[in-house]
Amino acid sequence: MAELFEGYRRAAAWDEMFDAAVKPRRTNGPVHRTLSALSAGEVQSRADALARSYLAQGVTFDFAGEERPFPLDVVPRVIDAVEWQTLEAGVSQRVHALEAFLADVYGQQQVVRDGVVPLTLIQSCSEFHREAFGVEPANGVRAHVSGIDLIRDEQGDFRVLEDNVRIPSGVSYVISNRRAMAQTFPELFSTMRIHPVDDYPRRLLQALSAAAPTGAAAEPTVVVLTPGVYNSAYYEHSLLARLMGVELVEGSDLFVASGRVWMRTTEGRRRVDVIYRRVDDEFLDPVHFRAESVLGVPGLLNVARQGNVTIANGVGNGVADDKLVYTYVPDLIRYYLAEEPVLKNVDTWRLQEPEALEEVLDRLDELVVKPVDGSGGKGLVVGPAASRQELGVLRSKLLADPRGWIAQPVVQLSTAPTFVDGKFQPRHIDLRPFAVNDGEKVWVLPGGLTRVALPEGQLVVNSSQGGGSKDTWVLGAGRSGLSRRRPAGSGGPAPAARTAVPIDTNPHDLLNADHSMHQQQQQQQQEGAACVSAARRAAAGGGVDA
Amino acid sequence: MSRYRVVHTSRFDYSAEVRASYNEARMTPAQSRGQNVLECDIVVSPCTSRYEYTDYWGTRVTAFEVLQAHQHLEIVAHALVDLPAAVTASQKAQELTWDHLRDPGLRDRLSAYLTTSPATAVPEEVVHLARECTVGRSPHEAAEIICRALREEMEYVPGVTTVHTPAVDAWAERKGVCQDIAHVTVGALRAVGIPALYVSGYYYPGSPDDTSQATVVGQSHAWVEWWTDRWHPFDPTNRTWVGGEHVVTARGREYSDVPPLKGVFAGGGSSDLTVTVEMTREVP
Repeated sequence: MAELFEGYRRAAAWDEMFDAAVKPRRTNGPVHRTLSALSAGEVQSRADALARSYLAQGVTFDFAGEERPFPLDVVPRVIDAVEWQTLEAGVSQRVHALEAFLADVYGQQQVVRDGVVPLTLIQSCSEFHREAFGVEPANGVRAHVSGIDLIRDEQGDFRVLEDNVRIPSGVSYVISNRRAMAQTFPELFSTMRIHPVDDYPRRLLQALSAAAPTGAAAEPTVVVLTPGVYNSAYYEHSLLARLMGVELVEGSDLFVASGRVWMRTTEGRRRVDVIYRRVDDEFLDPVHFRAESVLGVPGLLNVARQGNVTIANGVGNGVADDKLVYTYVPDLIRYYLAEEPVLKNVDTWRLQEPEALEEVLDRLDELVVKPVDGSGGKGLVVGPAASRQELGVLRSKLLADPRGWIAQPVVQLSTAPTFVDGKFQPRHIDLRPFAVNDGEKVWVLPGGLTRVALPEGQLVVNSSQGGGSKDTWVLGAGRSGLSRRRPAGSGGPAPAARTAVPIDTNPHDLLNADHSMHQQQQQQQQEGAACVSAARRAAAGGGVDA
Repeated sequence: MSRYRVVHTSRFDYSAEVRASYNEARMTPAQSRGQNVLECDIVVSPCTSRYEYTDYWGTRVTAFEVLQAHQHLEIVAHALVDLPAAVTASQKAQELTWDHLRDPGLRDRLSAYLTTSPATAVPEEVVHLARECTVGRSPHEAAEIICRALREEMEYVPGVTTVHTPAVDAWAERKGVCQDIAHVTVGALRAVGIPALYVSGYYYPGSPDDTSQATVVGQSHAWVEWWTDRWHPFDPTNRTWVGGEHVVTARGREYSDVPPLKGVFAGGGSSDLTVTVEMTREVP
């Protein structure tokens, strides 16, 4: 029944399953054989089973304001053990370098003094949050969780597309994908040695606990801070909290008093040591950032500054996500680690260099142009796919703000067979591996999130742009049976018994009756003109204006 | 040298009870560049707890929270400060050329003060005016002329702008207070390539020859500094070099880096803010 693969045409891109002669690659043999043995109807019924499993788990994503199930393709993406070792080493190296860079940026800035990056690069970064200056994380970790986006180019080499050390999301899809696939393809899980992914919540909790401030209890109180149910990643926030066995809280569940952060519970207040926050910097503390934000906790940043709470990931990490900073990461790896980068960047033009800008403007219709501070394809323009009018608008944007943009050649992301319209067709994919840093070691979750661009030929792979995903299988090295195998669908660690639950309202609590905060009136800097003697003003060389 | 006693009182009266309030005060005079702080303290009442730190810009910050119900909040910042005498521009400043300022290393080192920040972005008209001032002048000479020329265009009128008014809006009105005039000036200086920063502090409005030691009333003030071989302070609002009458509390790119007081509170309805600054000249 191999006809589902019939007519599978490889484009210029590297294909994950088939080599140049359209023969299945060795690592993909078992998956190819299993799928080839199925009829269209059987594949369709397994696809339906996956969708049902997804609905049952409640996995959805927000597409244009509408909650939709995140489509999981039936064909897994398989990565062999040797290749994975390289990716793992490359991702871990990258995280180490970015950690060192962040510590330096918010510290002595030795990297500037040594001439590796210009100070202007940091000063002009919209995510360089000077408010975070002086916040020293307890175990030195700022990027507790990282998502390093990779693509595979036409030659089959993995390259880094962007770094996400602010609030990388998507790991819940990895966990849910695995559960759904394990139920749907039991025969493959019983014959292949696939690295499990359900260790993630335990690793995350361990890293968060290790980041607790000095003086916290042996079992520090960790919470997950979510913007709330209307956030598109709320499912992930609740899943992680549940799997880690910690409280899921909103800003109004927490408050600052006497240099500590507290959680309101039915048993009174309880001190919080580590906040795994999924609220952006700008909304995290209205004293320092947006005063109108009700998603954050007023006074939080100064508690972190005093070393009495750990905010994970760190405030101001966005400097490392800046796409112009990205172009320096290979240099940062050499500078901080004295190593050569394991993973290459995608070639990138820095538009502040006049010759680069000129070349890019000449070739706009063949390049990909991205804003430096947009993650996940936000604001990105693919030259060949853009209209003349769109390119015209882009041109004026680049001229007005060359610091705000970078340009890259169009990379043909690798393709993988994807079940579309009753048969397997090549679709472009990327990979976001997740790394967890506990201060001792950077652990990379085997696999990660493979995202698929579902429209044919589309090169932008993003859940917010109508994409889907694939389960990502990292094959174990060594003999069969060496790697511990267990059904991944059996659920994560059991949630710890809840002794105290957060509550929404408690009239006796100080802030709770009305959580909305007002901005304190500020004093405009104005001289008391009316009180100044005219004579004095004249003496100062000025007229009297008031 | 001159010595001043400064008492800066901020009082908030709320129309309803405030249940909680989190704030930061930047009201401690800076111990830097010849300014010597002999005494300083900040009294907040009511106050549940407080914490002090030095921020990115080197400003001493007093963070405090009020977790008891209150309808009034008073912050009294008191300081005794010795000021250095007025500085005149050195020969070096006069000789610094535009080529010096174009040096990439220098521009990088001072990039924070060359990059436009939200409140200091100025319209093309201001840039044009500033450029005209540079013709045939050294950067240092031009900087002073720019300050004075922009001041001629803007009228000092309180109440037209607010703390959050950006330079563009103040310029459109051609009106504002010292904060606005400083923002426009800083933006114009940066636009022609002169590093410039925003200074927050107090200004003594009495006569410099006054020996009566009477307390005079003023308010917090803002002026600018530009870099030509070193930082040169100038008060565009009063069209004067900064000498023995300006007490510095903070320096930054713009107002939002150095607000004397900012914070949020829960409850309270509307609030009424009364600010007084009393300055007394003392004999050192």
